[in-house]
Amino acid sequence: MALVAPLLELRGIGKSYGPVRALHGIDLAIGAREVIGLCGDNGAGKSTLIRILSGAERPSEGQLLAAGRPIEIRSPANALARGIATTYQDLALAARLPIVQNIFMGAELIRGPSLLGLLDHRRMRAEAATLLDRFGLGGIDLHRPVSDLSGGQRQAVAIARALRAKARVVIMDEPTAALGVAESRQVLDLIRRLRADGVTVLLVSHDMEDVMAVTTRVVILKKGHKAGEIETAGLSAARLGEMIMSGVVA
Amino acid sequence: MKPLIARYGTALAAVALFVVFAVTARNFLAVGNLIGIAKHVSPIAILGIGFALALIAAELDLSFANVCSLAAVATGTLVHRGHSPWLAAAAGLGVGIGFGLLNGLVVTRLKVPSLIATLAAAAIANGLAFMVTDGVSVVGRWPVAFTDLGRGEVLGIPALVWWMALVAAAALFWLKQTRGGFRLVCTGENVEAARLAGLPVQRLKVTGLVLSGAAAGLAAVLLTASLSSASATMAGDFLLTAIAAVMLGMTMFEPGHANIPGTMVGALTIGMLGNGLVLLGAPYYVQDVCLGFIIIGSVAVSASALTRAAFDV
Ligand SMILES: Nc1ncnc2c1ncn2[C@@H]1O[C@H](COP(=O)(O)OP(=O)(O)O)[C@@H](O)[C@H]1O
Ligand SMILES: [Mg+2]
Repeated sequence: MALVAPLLELRGIGKSYGPVRALHGIDLAIGAREVIGLCGDNGAGKSTLIRILSGAERPSEGQLLAAGRPIEIRSPANALARGIATTYQDLALAARLPIVQNIFMGAELIRGPSLLGLLDHRRMRAEAATLLDRFGLGGIDLHRPVSDLSGGQRQAVAIARALRAKARVVIMDEPTAALGVAESRQVLDLIRRLRADGVTVLLVSHDMEDVMAVTTRVVILKKGHKAGEIETAGLSAARLGEMIMSGVVA
Repeated sequence: MKPLIARYGTALAAVALFVVFAVTARNFLAVGNLIGIAKHVSPIAILGIGFALALIAAELDLSFANVCSLAAVATGTLVHRGHSPWLAAAAGLGVGIGFGLLNGLVVTRLKVPSLIATLAAAAIANGLAFMVTDGVSVVGRWPVAFTDLGRGEVLGIPALVWWMALVAAAALFWLKQTRGGFRLVCTGENVEAARLAGLPVQRLKVTGLVLSGAAAGLAAVLLTASLSSASATMAGDFLLTAIAAVMLGMTMFEPGHANIPGTMVGALTIGMLGNGLVLLGAPYYVQDVCLGFIIIGSVAVSASALTRAAFDV
């Protein structure tokens, strides 16, 4: 077996919020073209782990590596520059701003010399429509504020923003939790397509069926520790559920 | 129908007020009077636009009026001592931008809420203005090249009106058509979302406060030039008037958001109100009472962004 350094590697990552230890000694290697499921009970530390990878939080201990070299992910901007884009569980949208502005926040399209920073509204609208078309929202009025949208539509906007960043790693925290069946299927289809395009996806989900449907590997967290990891092939949703509850991965 | 009323209701009320004055106040409609209103309102609008830009970044700048006075005495003193008008104007702008930067750094680095930081800056600016002038106004016969900045006319329209239009157009263009303005709006709406989207939110907040300071500096230069004088208290009254213009503006066009067209209509409405009341023979203090009601009414209707800026740190 050829030894290729993983895209991203976590070594002994821990995080404390004051007296609360949210994560302890997490080791994890994230390779190219993987869809990794991140599972665990409420409070297991899934969101915390994701916020460390996305630069929203700094780890209290441990080491991050990219392609074998130690790195620090200092801020969300830094994570995006490293090709890591995230959709957050609380979506992190500006509710009163239009859809198009939410999608292009931080990745605006510019016309003319970039120094002038003149917005290319027409191209942003066109690209936003194309991105949202994947969720059957191609015709939506892009000037509507996000606060007008349903949960599924908001999720689509949040995912569209992450896709805009053209990342190599896309992290999704509970992307289907607020969605109906049809909308969930669209998100799962999108995850498969991302993988086919060579993107690695880290999926946090409570839905065993979703995890079974799209992941290649599942990492299970229990009370801030990594309980273990297992290939998805050959697993059943019921067994996965048991492992999450017991914290015994085998 | 309802969204239209929400968007344009108070703007229509301003038009109605205009009609009332046109009918009841003799000379209100005279071209000279209308141009006079626009001229009178110019510094208020420019200061208001600065305040609005800071508010769009969810920061309150309560220092702009005193910073404007300080910048005015800096400019006036330099002109008075025979320095180049350009140097004097640059100094006025520099004072404004410098205080904006100071406010921005205190808010983002020292984490002092802008409500407090800018009140403190206002006190500092006030003290410095009295120190520079010894409490005496600087008055003189200054070079026309300088006074024309505020007193000249182009195409029959006073320079002050052109400056106001220029500042409004530039601010509007920057907000709607450039990446910087786009990001300022995002930061003010949801600072955490903006941060997670990779925006340099601290720098953007500093930008909002620097722009407010720059507007105060520009207003100072124009006021000094148009009055041929400067004093340590000259812009003090603009604090409430300019804020009222912004608050009134937040009830229209983009309800709940500080916005440039609204600020312009707000400033012109307040100017028209003052002018109309005077023409109708109402005592001077009625204006102040009206101003108070405008602020309370506007905030009650839709200016919730003010409360967010004041109390979310
Ligand atoms: N900002 C925070 N401050 C204090 N404690 C936190 C914070 N965020 C998360 N925690 C705690 O860390 C633990 C892990 O939380 P989280 O990562 O959100 O879990 P999950 O996403 O798996 O439900 C929980 O005990 C939670 O209460
Ligand atoms: Mg979570």
